[in-house]
Amino acid sequence: MLNIKNLDATIDNKHILKGLNLNIKPGEVHAIMGPNGSGKSTLANVLSGKNGYEIKGKIQFNGENLNELSTEERAQKGIFLAFQYPLEIPGVSTNIFLKTSLNAVRKAKGEKELDTLTFLKLIKEKALELGIDEKFLSRQLNVGFSGGEKKKNEILQMKLLEPKLSILDETDSGLDIDALRIVADGVNSYKNKDNAFLIITHYQRLLDYIKPDFIHVLSNGKIVKTGDADLGAQLEKTGYTSLS
Amino acid sequence: MKQFYDFRIEKIKGLSSEEKIVRKKNLELFYLNGFPSKKDEDWKFTDLNSILSQNFTKITNTDLITEERRHKSINEFEHNFISLMNGKLISKSFDHEEKDKISISNFNYKNEIILHSKNTLNFLNNALAKDGFSLEISKNYKLKKPLVIYNHFSDSLKEIITNNKNSIILNENSELTLINYLDNTSKENFMINTIENIKLKKNSSLKNIFINNSKNYAYFYKYLKNDLEKNSSLENYILSSGLIFNKLDIEVNHNEEYSNSYIFSALNLLNNEHQEIKTRVNHNAPNCRSYQKIKNVLNNESKGVYQGKIFVKNIAQKTDAYQLSRALILNDKAEFDAKPELEIYADDVKCSHGSTSGSIDLDSIHYLKSRGIPEKEAYQMLINGFLCEVLEKLKEKNLKKFLLKKLEDQIHGY
Repeated sequence: MLNIKNLDATIDNKHILKGLNLNIKPGEVHAIMGPNGSGKSTLANVLSGKNGYEIKGKIQFNGENLNELSTEERAQKGIFLAFQYPLEIPGVSTNIFLKTSLNAVRKAKGEKELDTLTFLKLIKEKALELGIDEKFLSRQLNVGFSGGEKKKNEILQMKLLEPKLSILDETDSGLDIDALRIVADGVNSYKNKDNAFLIITHYQRLLDYIKPDFIHVLSNGKIVKTGDADLGAQLEKTGYTSLS
Repeated sequence: MKQFYDFRIEKIKGLSSEEKIVRKKNLELFYLNGFPSKKDEDWKFTDLNSILSQNFTKITNTDLITEERRHKSINEFEHNFISLMNGKLISKSFDHEEKDKISISNFNYKNEIILHSKNTLNFLNNALAKDGFSLEISKNYKLKKPLVIYNHFSDSLKEIITNNKNSIILNENSELTLINYLDNTSKENFMINTIENIKLKKNSSLKNIFINNSKNYAYFYKYLKNDLEKNSSLENYILSSGLIFNKLDIEVNHNEEYSNSYIFSALNLLNNEHQEIKTRVNHNAPNCRSYQKIKNVLNNESKGVYQGKIFVKNIAQKTDAYQLSRALILNDKAEFDAKPELEIYADDVKCSHGSTSGSIDLDSIHYLKSRGIPEKEAYQMLINGFLCEVLEKLKEKNLKKFLLKKLEDQIHGY
């Protein structure tokens, strides 16, 4: 599904990713761990198509060259990034945002756009699954939401848009244990043999709830070690320094 | 510079000899300085003289023949209406209201208000004005439905200035929602210079909404004078995007205690549009509240101006006055000028002002795009979110829905 070869990324003359390789197949859950400044969020940003990065190397997503696609095209083709810091958008109601987003993606896929009533029915169902109060949906997007509410809202968007590849950028940060469980349940219930996850995290914590098939350690812009789910627990004991 | 204007009082029919004298005097006062230019402090950011001289070969006044014309009316909410053609009252309908509670007629120039000001456009108006309306709401009467004023202009208006005066009186304890609806389909250049006098008697309440419906090539100036008595309330909402030139000069006089005024503006200016909102809020009595929130989005080569002044007289203790302007500048060639001014002679008051301008937040754009929303739509969503906030206070559901839709149309461009 995702094929990254020798990826280099530079921003403001800072060389951040230095020859990163990664392969993700449908049905797999990959976790990327690593110390601060190792390039984890840069990887997420680059995959989402954020402006400002100078990119070298190859990123293929289902056979297409990702570097040639705009952010919105990537989203329409099934890449989803749950933001580490979801943005607050004043004056835009969560409902309208979600509907615009879903319909943009449906339209790109050649599916029929949903009318307001059908949409509202759908979104209420999905919100209920995540324990999100309906009232949230009529509030301004992320404005005044708590950290946990913002992260839940990201997972709601993921479940609504049904992406093929979901990248979760430190979705566990700022979550209490109950919110963490809700988010993890949300991910686990969406997981199937056709979609994949890339989970970026500092800590083992989230991986206790979402079991990864692979754990990669990112250090200084490269993947320096890959292992199975046990690697996380090991890192928790020894720290990252032993690897670099 | 060659003089590009030529105004004649003789073109106005039916004037008495006294009227002619007063009008001639005003015309002379106008001719002393001509159209205002940036030398005038009040026109510092809007050099009308050069704007007009660049866009008109010659402006004259004329005694227009007005025609009736069918127009598309608003279907989204039930309303009363009056129709103006080139400023002249041509039709009215108050089907939703009780009889004899509303009086509407042509403006009576015998009771003319002469403004004593240095404003040369007011002199010109005093010299040349004809037509306009007088509207009066009876004591204790609260209109059941809003009143829409449809403003239309004939296609024959070209290189012409039309001047008119309107008067609106809300008697004690009355209520009115007024929608000034501008629907000008002409592509010609002309100018409309209006003086409007609004009197709010004790406990009365007016919502005054300005909305423009189409892309517009005319030049508009309105002097809006509001006098507020005890406990009265005035809310202005300005949504007049799409005008090539518009200056709204708003004077609000808090003449008696416990009166409140609000000025909210949301403008999305496209290429070549120039709009100015100038306010002067005079707190002449204690315990009054005034609030101004002006929001501008400037695209391409557009210009927005806000000059806001709050004046607090020495006796106006416990005044609560606030003004804020915020601008989003989307293009290097766009310009926004703000001049906030406070002049305070009372010591127990709460007054504040603020002005910010900046560009759109690209991280927010990225966030929306990462959800599959195309870039153009992402911009429109953010602009809409930025502007629609000014309608927060408005509670009437259908009207609000209508205005939000108009705002969206304006953002999507005509």
